[in-house]
Amino acid sequence: MREQIRVVIVDDHSIFRSGLRSDLDDTVVIAGEASDVPSAIAVITEACPDVVLLDVHLPGGSGQDATGGEEVIRGCAGTPTRFLALSVSDAAEDVVRVIRAGARGYITKGSSGIEVSRAAHAVAGGDAVFSPRLAGFVLDAFGAVAGETAAVDDELDRLSAREQEVMRLIARGFAYKEVAAELFISVKTVETHVSAVLRKLQLSSRHELTAWASERRLL
Amino acid sequence: MTTPAAPQARPVRPARPARPARPARPRAVAAPRPALQRPRECAVTGVAVGLARHLGAPVWAVRALFIVLALLGGAGILLYLWCWAFIPWEPGAATPTHAVPVAWILLIVAGTSLIVAFLGVDQYQNWGWAPYAVPRIIGGFAVAVAAATVAGLWAGFVDRVDPARGAGHAILTRVIAIGTLVVVLVTVSGQVARGVGPVVGTAGILLPALAILAVLSPALIQQYRELTGERIKRIREEQRAEMAAHLHDSVLQTLALIQNRAGASSDAARLARAQERELRAWLYDGDQPADSDLPTDLRDYAGALELDYPVRIDVVSAGLSTERASGEVAAAAREAMLNAARHAGGEVSVYIEGRVAGVDVYIRDRGAGFVLDDVPDDRLGIRQSIVGRMRRAGGVAAVRSTGSGTEVHLHFDGGSSA
Repeated sequence: MREQIRVVIVDDHSIFRSGLRSDLDDTVVIAGEASDVPSAIAVITEACPDVVLLDVHLPGGSGQDATGGEEVIRGCAGTPTRFLALSVSDAAEDVVRVIRAGARGYITKGSSGIEVSRAAHAVAGGDAVFSPRLAGFVLDAFGAVAGETAAVDDELDRLSAREQEVMRLIARGFAYKEVAAELFISVKTVETHVSAVLRKLQLSSRHELTAWASERRLL
Repeated sequence: MTTPAAPQARPVRPARPARPARPARPRAVAAPRPALQRPRECAVTGVAVGLARHLGAPVWAVRALFIVLALLGGAGILLYLWCWAFIPWEPGAATPTHAVPVAWILLIVAGTSLIVAFLGVDQYQNWGWAPYAVPRIIGGFAVAVAAATVAGLWAGFVDRVDPARGAGHAILTRVIAIGTLVVVLVTVSGQVARGVGPVVGTAGILLPALAILAVLSPALIQQYRELTGERIKRIREEQRAEMAAHLHDSVLQTLALIQNRAGASSDAARLARAQERELRAWLYDGDQPADSDLPTDLRDYAGALELDYPVRIDVVSAGLSTERASGEVAAAAREAMLNAARHAGGEVSVYIEGRVAGVDVYIRDRGAGFVLDDVPDDRLGIRQSIVGRMRRAGGVAAVRSTGSGTEVHLHFDGGSSA
């Protein structure tokens, strides 16, 4: 049995919050809920959960609803909390923006409670959660399909050959365990690669990553 | 496939010829008269040809009749205009084209009468007298104004949309027409300053000025229409965005929740997913025509499969999508997806990676798997529709099946169309 983690659900739809609350498995304890940006920041700083399940679209921020998720992440910059983005929209600009703001992963709202719980555990453990869709986008955005490969591991604008392999397998629907078996490496190594890719996604200066993605409807 | 086409499929040719190229010998046919319609490829307006067809008379006779009637106090002109206004185009989608360059002919007429009028003015001023000076001057200017106006209107309303002439041509003729009218206006104003009767003077200035406005009107009208259209479009966009935001906040969330609660491959979840996909396509793709490249096509197909089978198909694409949806790769991929949906169910992942030349498609399911050699020879699915098809197209299909799932990998190289 996995150890318990504490999560806060931030979503402006109470019906979705209640649905998720009853669906998450026993290892996930709900430490609090919030429905807009200010209350989310207040609840998170107070409860200090392991993971925040964060809706990308959130009202109550200074800007538009679409950027509410980012504001929560920025508002909680000091806490050790990790963020898992939830979205119904699948729109590239939203997903990439919230990831670049600091979320450790992204999952669609249509995912089952078990999937969300699993993703929450992964994020709590410091790993990144990549959907096949996000992996496909990353491959595209970093020019891996066109044959661009990083010469040095810490190059931020390109993926290394190994990272590309991992991303390709995730895009093909492989779970981390299956990726590990396929590449004859340990699951821990796979997670390391995925985290490295996530870091590149957050720090890369590849121009206009999000605008480009939404223009081409990649996610 | 080899079934002979049904012999009675050919439709009976209608008695009315759709477009008789020559003025048919009339008396031979007792069939009902062709409807009174103007052909879409006409000389000037198609009135004469349309009438001739309807009456069964030769076209030249109809034209001669119009000219004779026109000489009888202008009745022919009125009749012609009346016919032009009320006889419809023959049905069809093509934009009407006009063989005769009406605008240019009218401009030549305008120019000629302008010269005639100027000569009259010149002679009158030099000698104080010229044969028929007054009718020549006034008539010349009048005809010039009329012809230039009609030329400008014709160019603005008819030639602009005529594929045989085009917008550039229309602008040129209208500029010339306006130039002619300005020359008339300036000349007449000069004469008025020297003292002409008040009636002639007023008419001489007012008419060319009105004519210039008339020639400019198509551009103004068009601009006004564009402006209104623009505004309506913007309002629609705003409404759509509002509605999209609303639906995003309500219906999409609910659909997501249904999927979330009902379990991935239950009926309710599948329905919710299909609805979500349709709604999303409607909300975000808008009016843009769906380009039928490979990922789009496979996504649509996945949607259809999800309705028929207890399966959830995730289609992910990366890279360029140069591969056509109609190609052999698409056909093989569809077959593989169908197999996965039918035999494995559950979650299926499709990943498409397009390069400049060629494409890779992976179709992965989590079914019980199978051994390719155990599949009986008479089962065509894998062997023919996937492996054989890819080989014939010059690509490779690899099927890898284990106890925890099957993955079909389609690989296609080269830029030649599959």
